[in-house]
Amino acid sequence: MSTALPGETLLAVENVSLRFGGVRAISDVSFDVVKGEIRAIIGPNGAGKTSMLNCINGFYHPQEGAITFKGVKRPKVKPHEAAVGGIARTFQNVALFKGMTTLDNIMVGRTLKMHRSFFWHLFRNGPAMTEEIEHRRKVEQIIDFLEIEHIRKTPVGKLPYGLQKRVELGRALAMEPDLLLLDEPMAGMNLEEKEDMCRFILDVNNTYGTTIALIEHDMGVVMDLSDRVVVLEYGRKIADGTPDAVKKDQTVIDAYLGVAH
Amino acid sequence: MSTAEAASPAAALPGWVMPVAKTLAVIAGIAALIFALVASGIAPKGSWAHKILAAPFIEMREMPDLLVQTLWEGAVAGILYALIALGFVLIFKASGVFNFAQGIMVVFAGLTLVGTYELLGRVGLTGMPAAYLALLVTLGVMALLAVSVERFVLRPLVNQPDIILFMATFGLTYLLIGIGESIFGGNPKVMITSQLGLPRGAIDLNILGGRVTLQKIDIAAAVIATLMIIALAIFFQKTRIGRALRAVADSHKAALSVGISLNQIWMIVWFAAGVVALVTGIMWGARSDVSFGLQTIALKALPVLILGGFTSVPGAIIGGLIIGIGEKIGEFYWGPLLGGAIESWLAYVIALGFLVFRPQGLFGDKIIERI
Amino acid sequence: MPPFTDAGSNPHGVCHDREGGPEPPGDLAARAQVGGDTFGKLLAGNARIRGPRPAMRFKDNGIWASWTWAEVYAEARGLAAGLQKLGLKRGDKIAIVGGNRPKLYWSIMAAQILGAIPVPVYADAIADELAYVLDNAEVTFAAVQDQEQVDKLISVADRVPRLQTILYDFDRGLKDYDHGELHHIDTVIAAGKAALGEPGAAAALDGEIAAGKGEDVSIILYTSGTTGRSKGVMLSAAGCINAATDTVTFDKLNDTDSVLAYLPLAWVGDHYLNYAQAMVAGFCVACPESAETAQADLKEIGPTFYFAPPRVFENLLTRVMIRMEDAGRLKRGMFHHFIGVAKQWGEKILNGESVPLAAKLSYGLGDLLVYGPLKNALGFSNIRVAYTAGEAIGPELFSFYRSLGLNLKQLYGQTEAFLYVTAQPDGQIRADTVGPATPNVDIRIDPASGEVLYKSPGQFIGYYKEPEKTAETMTPDGYVKTGDAGFFDATGHLRIIDRAKDVGKLKDGALFAPKYIENKLKFYPNIKEAVAFGQDQDFVTVFINIDPIAVGNWAERNNVSYGGYQELAGLPQVYDIIGAHVDETNRTLAAEPMMAGGQIKRFLILHKELDADDGELTRTQKVRRGFIAERYQPLVDALYSGKTEQHIATEVTFEDGRKGTIAATVAIRDARTYPAVVVANATGAMGKAA
Repeated sequence: MSTALPGETLLAVENVSLRFGGVRAISDVSFDVVKGEIRAIIGPNGAGKTSMLNCINGFYHPQEGAITFKGVKRPKVKPHEAAVGGIARTFQNVALFKGMTTLDNIMVGRTLKMHRSFFWHLFRNGPAMTEEIEHRRKVEQIIDFLEIEHIRKTPVGKLPYGLQKRVELGRALAMEPDLLLLDEPMAGMNLEEKEDMCRFILDVNNTYGTTIALIEHDMGVVMDLSDRVVVLEYGRKIADGTPDAVKKDQTVIDAYLGVAH
Repeated sequence: MSTAEAASPAAALPGWVMPVAKTLAVIAGIAALIFALVASGIAPKGSWAHKILAAPFIEMREMPDLLVQTLWEGAVAGILYALIALGFVLIFKASGVFNFAQGIMVVFAGLTLVGTYELLGRVGLTGMPAAYLALLVTLGVMALLAVSVERFVLRPLVNQPDIILFMATFGLTYLLIGIGESIFGGNPKVMITSQLGLPRGAIDLNILGGRVTLQKIDIAAAVIATLMIIALAIFFQKTRIGRALRAVADSHKAALSVGISLNQIWMIVWFAAGVVALVTGIMWGARSDVSFGLQTIALKALPVLILGGFTSVPGAIIGGLIIGIGEKIGEFYWGPLLGGAIESWLAYVIALGFLVFRPQGLFGDKIIERI
Repeated sequence: MPPFTDAGSNPHGVCHDREGGPEPPGDLAARAQVGGDTFGKLLAGNARIRGPRPAMRFKDNGIWASWTWAEVYAEARGLAAGLQKLGLKRGDKIAIVGGNRPKLYWSIMAAQILGAIPVPVYADAIADELAYVLDNAEVTFAAVQDQEQVDKLISVADRVPRLQTILYDFDRGLKDYDHGELHHIDTVIAAGKAALGEPGAAAALDGEIAAGKGEDVSIILYTSGTTGRSKGVMLSAAGCINAATDTVTFDKLNDTDSVLAYLPLAWVGDHYLNYAQAMVAGFCVACPESAETAQADLKEIGPTFYFAPPRVFENLLTRVMIRMEDAGRLKRGMFHHFIGVAKQWGEKILNGESVPLAAKLSYGLGDLLVYGPLKNALGFSNIRVAYTAGEAIGPELFSFYRSLGLNLKQLYGQTEAFLYVTAQPDGQIRADTVGPATPNVDIRIDPASGEVLYKSPGQFIGYYKEPEKTAETMTPDGYVKTGDAGFFDATGHLRIIDRAKDVGKLKDGALFAPKYIENKLKFYPNIKEAVAFGQDQDFVTVFINIDPIAVGNWAERNNVSYGGYQELAGLPQVYDIIGAHVDETNRTLAAEPMMAGGQIKRFLILHKELDADDGELTRTQKVRRGFIAERYQPLVDALYSGKTEQHIATEVTFEDGRKGTIAATVAIRDARTYPAVVVANATGAMGKAA
């Protein structure tokens, strides 16, 4: 496998730089994500990984560079517009609707797919009801897929962290995204939960063909999971390629082993 | 087996059962106490203890028709309080803002309705068509208000501390008073009750050895308010927008990431609160008149909210009923002992009592502090 | 191999209405049991006489789907034809690995239609156990639940050379697998149904069903033995059906009943209670959405027949009690008041004894306010008959459920008997017995060893490929040795003391019944497991596992902080609590002449929870005493050397197979012992004890 995967480029990040005041979070980073792949962005803590993700889904707006999604160069998008465009994401520290049940959380993920007007919903009959049932079916498939039937009616705030992460993935899946951004999906999990999560990510990619870009600081997990890896350090890209190539890259080894600069 | 859904007998009961059972138990306890006091002769007839603890209850038993009348009036007032409280709850749930302007929105909506009707009268339009046209116009004004609030208040202040937003609603209050006064003048107006097709007059029921009078407008108010509350509850719990609303209330970040536009949600919520304000304005206006004085009744929503919790729709309803009935009963049976007019402050005393024992309100999320 | 003894003497070959007792209301024909000496024939019969009645339910994607008997029969026939096309034939073995899912039950049915032999395996078996069973059973086919099981099979493929074809139910993650010998059950059913459309095919399949004989092996169930490799218990079709027919009649089950199938497929209990009894009585089997939702599904289904091992009842009670401790004062007061009422009158009312009117009214009010809602929350509202078995149940626990009005009874049995040997009839329920022999079962107590021996209609044919072990288990005159020591009490009920081989003696000759002692300890909610030692020693000592939920809850209520199980287990206050329980246990032991010598002298609280993954418990959660003694040798030595603490490091296996070490210094305490209480009438005291 070479650095450039065959296939249609879904997302292209070109020479992106992001500053907060005088602090450079990202400097001149370019990479692409090809349709259907699992693309990892790795790097030590503070490398700018989450900032990169926030640029892609519109939480941040880079000062320089361009982000092209589905062949269209995007001006400043807002997060909800990115979602409309087909980008779903999860968060490092889990951002769920804590007072709502698992079912409702995932149903909220269907918001963009529902079209019946406010008025119809008020009456809960006819087309709106049919639509609600249709979406509920989709959500149930996701619940089945992620094996979270037993917590369907549990408010997510009461769930252990590992399950919350799974519900969050479920909510992102409910959006049927073209690009799924996962921010440290395995953070804070025990080994068994990590393995489960890996399996779910692979299965999502395999079953739904969803393109996935994920962030991890734990190299081990990522190498088995991803097709290609971008390595960031101090906001700069230091390597890009297949897991095997990246693993052998001296700069990467230095970055991870903490060689003095 | 799942530990998430641990079994318990309480799980089988609806949520309102325990609070109601507790309230009944407390009432029964007090009744027993009073009976004991009177029967044991500690409180002889004519003493203050008797006047406070026994006489009102004896009166209730001897003239049940009066009691029913008082209860009914209390319930109607309570439902209208609940409606105002709902306006607060809606906005608070979705944006975490305590909207001080909710009271003035009631007046503003009422004034706009009546004012527009008068305006239409000048071009020769009267009667029911004009009234409903005015209603439509008022709805449009409330929608415009919602859009403006979102665009000029909430959007610039996004991510500011809650207190800043609260202050902003103060500003909004005085802005609306100013606009209202300059357009419609400061004089009280008469609500266009009959033009809207709302009934007038009263029904007299001869029951319990007396006569109970039900104002038709009160019946209509109760029915319409109830329908409105049901519609809102369904809207909140079961619909896409309702879910999105709750989502926004819970986490802005997460809501954005699933494609919910905060601006759109805020607009919808403020519009819904505006509609609630309009309905309240019509009903209160029909019972008295439409004036800026009406905004003080909005302050009655505060004790209702303390009772019901700031985030609970059923809480607003039950809280409204408790305050409404409580203050009417208090005024009628105990008011004379204190020289009358206790209605104006009794609600706050009830709320204070609640604050001490159940700070989260009847239905608010339980406050658990774990250190 | 002993001949099958009861096939001829118990004619169930004809379709008959229920005999004896009042007829249940409704259509008589529909209430009837169908005839047949194989499950294939029973299935066909059920489809014929109660075709439109529900046979199975399964909660899938949040909705209860259901199949009628006619539909289940059609699916099973389709699957049978599909399997036949893939090469499954009479006598072949097919492994069934997974949870309680309709398609896995249909796989069992389809195999039995063809005369092939299903071999269910525990879904949580590790790869090594799975490989052993599959190889030992010589399976050529496997029907499994999902990717996890497929992966497991692939990982042991070289050790199971005969296995060629795998069917799976849930396709997640399996899209990119080589589908040469891997099939979705749905596609096999579809292919089979298409094949059945060919002229003559349906009749040929009918012929396969008709060709099945009652004495054929119907299923092989592997026992999870307490020692050594598991053995394949061969059960005959007629034996299974006769045994199930007896108990269906005994408990008056009919096709209006329903069960929730949540017990492991590979356990005899599931095959008996849910599969065989449903086939005989024609009732509906509901499959939970997943193992974790079983409790919630139970509530939704509201079955009429229920079985759970004592530990499930115990866990439920613990949870209810914890919820009640956290509830408001009024609710808690109401709960405790009415539980008190139930304790006093509930069992009497359930047993139909006469009670004062006031008690009846009070109990009725309690039913309205507490018992009813509680039973509803637990999913017990509609239960007519509930059983528990597998180990002794605490008398308190047993009475608690009975006092709520749940008709909970005990039975005693084993895989070799196709479950039942004894069962308690309605109205003769006691916590300390397992009831008299079930109809057509003959029980004998070996006079020398006290071992319980039986002959039963469901009795096994033998262990698969192990005639010498089969012979060891049988007496020359055809009785099966249970391996349990027991005796009949004055009322003719059987009482089990312990495993016969485990009833030992202390050095001074006093009787040492470890399980008896362990059970007494385990009746305390704070104690989850106990392991007693003392064979050929001077005195009895025990390891104790605290119950982390109950003790953790105590810690929370008393503001005791702890970092995890290990720390909790080591707290001196926890030792005090457990010490008090040990003390009480000794006092009751002292009151029992046979057991007084076996009082507990020293105990310790183990620093880790006993776990099946570490081999310390069997898959059915029974302690493996010998293994534990070996593994914690330093601790056992310390118990007998008089030390007050001992350091120990233990290797543990995580679920992914990784190994790690847990180390701790475990405190040891002495317990008080009591002089034996001298009772004038020793046998009378025995009757009341336990």
